Amino acid sequence: MKRRHFLHTTGAVVSLPVLLNGMKVGTLPKTALFNNMNLENDRVLVIIQLNGGNDGLNMIIPIDQYDNLASARANILLPENSILPATDVTGFHPIMTGVKSLYDDGKLGIIQSAGYPDQNRSHFRSTDIWTSGSPAGEFWTTGWLGRYFEERNPDFPENYPNSDFPDPFAITMGSTVSETCQGTVANFSMTLNDPFSLSALTEGEPGDVPNTPYGEELTFLRTAIAQTNAYSENITTAAEQGNNLVAYPDDNRLAQQLKNVALLMSGGLQTKVYVVSLGGFDTHANQVDINDATIGGHANLLGTLSQAIKVFQDDLQQLGLEERVIGMTFSEFGRKIKSNDSFGTDHGTAAPLIVFGSCVNPQILGDNPEISPQVAASEGVAMQYDFRDIYGSILMDWFEVDETEVTSSLHPEFTYLPILRNCSATTSTDTVIKPDLDLRSSPNPCRNMIRFQFTTTQEYGRLAIFDAMGSQIKVVFGQKLAPGAHEVTVDTSQLPAGTYYAHLQLEGRQRTSRFIKMK
Amino acid sequence: MDRRATLATLFGRSKTGQSSTQSKKATMGLTRQMTGLEPYTGPWGFEQAAHLLRRCTFGPTYAEMKQATEDGLDATIETLFATLPLPEPPLNYYYEEDPNVPIGEPWMDAPYTSDNASRLYRRRSLYGWTVGQILNEGISLREKMVLFWNNHFAISEVDDPKFMLQYTNVYRTYAWGNFRDLVKEMTINPAMLRFLNGNQNTKNAPNENFARELLELFTIGKGPLAGPGDYTNYTEQDVVAMAKVLTGWRDQGYYSENPDVTVGSYFRPNQHDTTAKQLSHRFDNVVINDMGEGEYSHLIDVIFGKSEVARFISRKLYRWFVYYDIDEEAENEVIEPMAQILIDNDYEIRPALETLLRSNHFFDILNVGPLIKNPIDFSYSLFKQLHVEMPEELEAKYVSWLRIMTLVNLMEMDYYTPPSVSGWKAYYQEPLFYRTWINATTLQVRMGFTSRMASNGYFFEGNRIVINPLAFISTLDNPVDINDLLDELVKILFPQPISDSQKAALKEFVIPGLPDFEWTAEYSQYLSNPDDSDLAEAIETKLRSLFNAMLSMPEFYLS
Repeated sequence: MKRRHFLHTTGAVVSLPVLLNGMKVGTLPKTALFNNMNLENDRVLVIIQLNGGNDGLNMIIPIDQYDNLASARANILLPENSILPATDVTGFHPIMTGVKSLYDDGKLGIIQSAGYPDQNRSHFRSTDIWTSGSPAGEFWTTGWLGRYFEERNPDFPENYPNSDFPDPFAITMGSTVSETCQGTVANFSMTLNDPFSLSALTEGEPGDVPNTPYGEELTFLRTAIAQTNAYSENITTAAEQGNNLVAYPDDNRLAQQLKNVALLMSGGLQTKVYVVSLGGFDTHANQVDINDATIGGHANLLGTLSQAIKVFQDDLQQLGLEERVIGMTFSEFGRKIKSNDSFGTDHGTAAPLIVFGSCVNPQILGDNPEISPQVAASEGVAMQYDFRDIYGSILMDWFEVDETEVTSSLHPEFTYLPILRNCSATTSTDTVIKPDLDLRSSPNPCRNMIRFQFTTTQEYGRLAIFDAMGSQIKVVFGQKLAPGAHEVTVDTSQLPAGTYYAHLQLEGRQRTSRFIKMK
Repeated sequence: MDRRATLATLFGRSKTGQSSTQSKKATMGLTRQMTGLEPYTGPWGFEQAAHLLRRCTFGPTYAEMKQATEDGLDATIETLFATLPLPEPPLNYYYEEDPNVPIGEPWMDAPYTSDNASRLYRRRSLYGWTVGQILNEGISLREKMVLFWNNHFAISEVDDPKFMLQYTNVYRTYAWGNFRDLVKEMTINPAMLRFLNGNQNTKNAPNENFARELLELFTIGKGPLAGPGDYTNYTEQDVVAMAKVLTGWRDQGYYSENPDVTVGSYFRPNQHDTTAKQLSHRFDNVVINDMGEGEYSHLIDVIFGKSEVARFISRKLYRWFVYYDIDEEAENEVIEPMAQILIDNDYEIRPALETLLRSNHFFDILNVGPLIKNPIDFSYSLFKQLHVEMPEELEAKYVSWLRIMTLVNLMEMDYYTPPSVSGWKAYYQEPLFYRTWINATTLQVRMGFTSRMASNGYFFEGNRIVINPLAFISTLDNPVDINDLLDELVKILFPQPISDSQKAALKEFVIPGLPDFEWTAEYSQYLSNPDDSDLAEAIETKLRSLFNAMLSMPEFYLS
């Protein structure tokens, strides 16, 4: 029995009474639904978007690959003794002392090499993929969280806010709504720069509304204006009633956004998702100081990130909100393994994610990326975890979304990942501990064929081959597997010579293994 | 079952222009489609002239609307469709370091220098100039069609300004010209080759990106899923085959520093797939044999052999000029005959579009006013209709234009960066369509913009860009009468009249709790003493609050 089957709860938010002319149909007292919701579902997700493509190899360092990193990116590589060790083989950038201390306190985890097959290295396109949760080859116009909200609030924005949902579903700190919250009908996030300076929009004399298309659009506009004002009023109230109990550094632009998140939460705002962002990660040049790789542009960004997460988490703890909040970072792509001559790195493939909060599994999920001794110029870090599995697992564990909804609205080949842990009664857990996954490949290097060996339980498995650019070359199989040892042989005669990655994905476990094709 | 297509529907990938057959008009007392494409036979007055110009330009001035009223429908249509030469090209307005382009000269044909700033100033110049084209369009349909095609082909991320100018000038040239020829030109357009990877499409490594969008977004549209990989109008097989037809093309001149290389494209026979390409039964199993450089053109002819192309572009024109909701009756009475006109006229856009703009349907009162202005329409109509003055001097003028573009970007419409290859959601995303323009942020930005324009205005490098209410009302017919003043402003700014209670509320901004004649008294006194700054300021303050109130009314958001 899979744990996710336990997680489907009463569905308090799933089956809302129908609203008709603003009046609720049904007999369920308003307060009951309200309380029920609060009990079940007062959890908040904070998304930190790192714009520009974060160089994951300079943030979470695979110490066991240090020698090969040294040959690939000597001019930007941190001195080995400066790295803050998290485990024997993995460490943090030395500036990330805040993140490191949260990790040590059991409040922060890392997910290695998150990405997707057929990595797109365009900022815009890849951001769209990350925000919509689409496969690389498809354009989806809704966001992954927008679909989550829309499933439960199909009529939004009509008759919102209302007494059951008085507050915005999501807030984007900044001036454009986050595409993650885009629904087909409306965006579920409201944008906010300063909760204390929301200007009321003018609501003029309404006048008659003719029963025509003109009248319909006029009504829509008036509703939108009134709704913005209604939400704004609640936000201002929450900001006035809220508190911050620690000092957020003034010069940390990310911390200032998170400060408002904590403030609004403590003021009672029932918003479920906050999107904050930090830009500047497109470090093609001067990622590090020419004379000291521990400082420079990227170190400043990581320092900002680390300090902001730490101060926010400390504030939440003091405010007593710790168990209601998790956070995760994402960036449109990682960067190339090889550095360039400008002390920077160019657009790459997968990169690690940070998840934080007292309910996350404080682990480093996954293996260090394997860095080859001879890295191709265009090579990025191979994907280990599909980002949609990360989203889906968070939706299931944090927002109590059923797995079938995750498969249908996000990822048909969804694999659950143990990102969160039980920190409250409702997140029941019986995580099945599965044996470590070993994926052996031989011969390596190969010429005309390569053989993969691995052992599974009776479960779904998928084996795919990626090239160094992150493009999915071939899906070897995707099927239900019998328990026991397996051996698969793949014809490699048609592959151009170079570095490849085999990615084996089972239920809850995955493994990436590098191999070389010779001429 | 095709998973891609199924998921696409589930996840809101709705890029097709197919008609929505479900009609939400059931709840309404009136049926919208009482009229068809037959010539308009009703009266011609200010209301009709204003409607035509609102839809065909970015905010007509009072003078232009009066002119059209006087000229009548026929003459106004002729003016709108008058052939114009390409505009004077954008100029280097400030950058002193470009050895190839002195200040005040066009950079269009000059090579780049290695220095990044020479790219930057040209991009700024292009952006500003684009704003200038719209602000100074006069009674012409052209700029609205340029934006239409810019939405249709939706090129973005090709950031060489010479490329951008090149393709927008193609749109100007073809504004209401031959649709098939335009698609042919865009198929090998250098910016398009870059945008949808046509320049990487070779016989050994075919890239289907352009072929797919050519069918799905540019010509025939995706119909309902009829079978695995079969989208009624075309199949996956056609995408693959057409990608092969289009192999071998490259763009040239991208950020080129070579004076001998111009922006363009060329054919490389050795990268062209010379095998026979088999199309599906959706294209009558046609086989396209090697025709080298001319093969793409033949392919476009094959696609345009299908009448669905005419319906597809007719729907897009309808959503641009009339309304987003295409119910069954509109499909039958408007789209279908428009498509037939296109086919009868060899895909010339003008006859079909002109028929639409002259039709009973277009002037039907039920089609007056329900179009939510996009950010460009919204802000430019303020500048134009309220005569906001721009500086004359070269640099100051470009800087102001550029800043206007930046302001409009905040409303979520960046002229040169449509959000995806499908264009702006307002014109395809069911069920929201035009309503996608409106959210908490864009409302704050729109109202922030109008209220600032009505009060202090913007200072662009020292030049104040602001509504001048005293100067503006002096251009009205009878500003000394508060009721006439309001009526005229409503006629200019709003698509339909407002109620008496709304008018009364507006009056309160000018003469709070006072009888009407107090306005006449105050304003007449100012007219007799125009140099009395106290008087002028007192009146101006009142008018500024009036303008602010009117510009923040939802009525101003509609066209």
